[in-house]
Amino acid sequence: MEDNPLQNELISDLLEVQNLSVNFETIDRTVEVLRSVSIRIEKGDAVGIVGESGSGKSTLAQAIIGVLDIPPARIIDGVIRFNGENILQRKTKSPNFRGKGINMIFQEPLTSLNPVYSVHDQLEEAIRIDDPTVDAKKREEIIKRNLREVMIRDVEGVLSVYPHQLSGGMRQRVSIAMVLIQRPQLLILDEPTTGLDLIVQRKILKLILNLKEEISSSILLITHDLAIAASVCKRIYVMYAGRVVESGSMRVVLSSPSHPYTIMLKNSVPEGYMDEGPLNVTSGSPPDLRALPSGCAFHPRCPKAMAVCREKVPELKKVEDEREVACWLYE
Amino acid sequence: MSDPHLEVENLSMRFKVKTKILHGSADQGKFKTVLNSVSFAIKEGETFGIVGETGSGKTTLAKTLVGIYKPKNCTIKLQGKEINFKKREDVLSLRRSIGIVFQDPVGSLNPRLRVFDIIAEGLPDLQKMKKGEKETKIREAAKLVELPESKLESYPPEISGGEKQRVSLARTLAGGKKILVLDEPTSSLDVSIQAQILNLLIKLKRELSISYIFITHDLNVIKFMCDRVAVLYYGQLLEEGSTIELFERPRHPYTYDLIHANVTLSSTNLYTTDHESGEPSTEGCVYKNSCPKRFEPCERNPPVIVRNGVRVKCWLYETQENLNGVISEIKKELGDGS
Ligand SMILES: Nc1ncnc2c1ncn2[C@@H]1O[C@H](COP(=O)(O)OP(=O)(O)OP(=O)(O)O)[C@@H](O)[C@H]1O
Ligand SMILES: Nc1ncnc2c1ncn2[C@@H]1O[C@H](COP(=O)(O)OP(=O)(O)OP(=O)(O)O)[C@@H](O)[C@H]1O
Ligand code: SF4
Ligand code: SF4
Ligand SMILES: [Mg+2]
Ligand SMILES: [Mg+2]
Repeated sequence: MEDNPLQNELISDLLEVQNLSVNFETIDRTVEVLRSVSIRIEKGDAVGIVGESGSGKSTLAQAIIGVLDIPPARIIDGVIRFNGENILQRKTKSPNFRGKGINMIFQEPLTSLNPVYSVHDQLEEAIRIDDPTVDAKKREEIIKRNLREVMIRDVEGVLSVYPHQLSGGMRQRVSIAMVLIQRPQLLILDEPTTGLDLIVQRKILKLILNLKEEISSSILLITHDLAIAASVCKRIYVMYAGRVVESGSMRVVLSSPSHPYTIMLKNSVPEGYMDEGPLNVTSGSPPDLRALPSGCAFHPRCPKAMAVCREKVPELKKVEDEREVACWLYE
Repeated sequence: MSDPHLEVENLSMRFKVKTKILHGSADQGKFKTVLNSVSFAIKEGETFGIVGETGSGKTTLAKTLVGIYKPKNCTIKLQGKEINFKKREDVLSLRRSIGIVFQDPVGSLNPRLRVFDIIAEGLPDLQKMKKGEKETKIREAAKLVELPESKLESYPPEISGGEKQRVSLARTLAGGKKILVLDEPTSSLDVSIQAQILNLLIKLKRELSISYIFITHDLNVIKFMCDRVAVLYYGQLLEEGSTIELFERPRHPYTYDLIHANVTLSSTNLYTTDHESGEPSTEGCVYKNSCPKRFEPCERNPPVIVRNGVRVKCWLYETQENLNGVISEIKKELGDGS
């Protein structure tokens, strides 16, 4: 592709996270949860973050929307720019919600809902914030339409209750309905569909994608499910033990993963029938962040590990257009 | 042919609903049917999969099979011998033959026991056993599940989720169980750890010629692990057949929707059904509120229809003759009502 300065300006980054490092610090220990994490999301982009449990995905999302608990969390370094403005909260938590145009569907759906207001009142409030000129009758209409969109059948029943009275799946649907009303520029989804039935899950993902097209918002999808990420996202960041180890276009990373961890992640997903033999994975498990292995954190599990891997952390390097890998093999 | 390893016929379970969930329609004092006439049979050395969404009754089924719940009016045969749930002896023999591994590795292991002693819990006739013999058996079981010897001295909170599932497996294997009920054994694990456990399960099956009843909501896992699969939906088995038949030619409209909603790395299209997803129906066919193929007979609960080795509970597969009969019955009833 030719370098076109005009085009570069047009495709401006909506969100840019640069070198973000976060610790969790308590009296007796410090845990390095994120290290030099950089990601960017363009307008209209759908970006995925995949990684196993404890790799720092939710922490990253919480830092972006400004709900990290500081302390115990501490920002060591980094910048987070949204529409060019630095929004990283270093001292206290103060949500970048709504006003800033970012919203999030949390892994634990109770987090997105306010426990002291009924479902109806929260949704109504969201509409009022979005557009104060909408009258009461219209608000009721919008509420009901959005609840039906997330496949809630007993709309009246759900409206009158409080979040804790709903099942996990219902809560998740209500928080998605809320986001549909708020129409954010950036929507962060942290494991948005866990606990929902498969068919409902896929319908809701589709709904979110349609909304994204309709209001040309951007999506950051956090998941441990590579196939889900592949079905939603155009670009992907793979995280391991608090670092981005590979990034690139979804298609390329999936068809030819470079980092040994990405390769293992891909090999872990059963694809065919039983006679296709055992899954190609090594032993070991994700590291305990309190006792990170030296050098490349993946080295104890890596089939390609070399002497240098035990000593020095590999930096994220551009290996080809749009693709970055943090691994000594690509040095 | 030899008797099937385990045969389940017309298994139903219902629970008394104590509190009102949500608001509205009072459920107090009523019963909720969680399993509804479930029937299947497992051959020796086979992996039989049961796939179902949350709340479909998977764990209830698993618990019944190991004698935790006592079903009424159903026939369960172990190696051809019928189990009488009123007889303690029979329930014990069920428990001795069938082991279980639960989804939640934290909740299923006593945090205050050493791993060594947890595995020992699985040994039959623990009291009668000599110390040396007991120790050998435990070390053997640990080796089978590839658990490092050093971990035998650890306590559950000190080991990883994958290791906890290995301990659960070792406990059932130490008891020489021939049938293992695996209730979402890898659902709480990271994918790379899940892959390790799946590999281990395949290896164990080959070495010990045991049978698995593999229960999960994960279609990719079930496809990879099982010889045959049954689809559970709100307590009913809607379809059962060989894994390939089920995945390549799903018969039941629900199976069809489920399999097409699943994404894999090689087919990442977010397929969604255009038709509505309704609540399960308590009258007639349980899937009728979501089914795009619904037609007149669906107001009646369909029977299980067997076609070319596939069992499917859907009127679409009934002969025209029988259908005509059902339709005219329904018409007559409607006529009478007016
Ligand atoms: N409030 C906290 N205090 C101390 N440590 C924390 C806190 N929150 C998170 N951590 C630690 O930070 C690490 C990263 O957690 P995070 O929730 O970001 O991971 P994740 O990738 O979202 O995992 P999962 O896939 O399980 O959701 C974990 O080791 C976790 O234990
Ligand atoms: N002891 C009980 N008393 C009353 N209701 C119960 C009991 N056990 C289970 N149920 C209900 O029976 C239904 C099926 O539960 P079960 O745990 O068997 O489902 P499941 O398929 O294992 O779901 P999941 O995928 O969430 O584990 C649920 O609606 C549950 O609330
Ligand atoms: S840096 Fe070394 S240990 Fe780490 S992934 Fe690359 S080859 Fe493996
Ligand atoms: S019996 Fe009728 S409603 Fe039920 S799945 Fe078959 S066609 Fe659909
Ligand atoms: Mg998380
Ligand atoms: Mg269960």
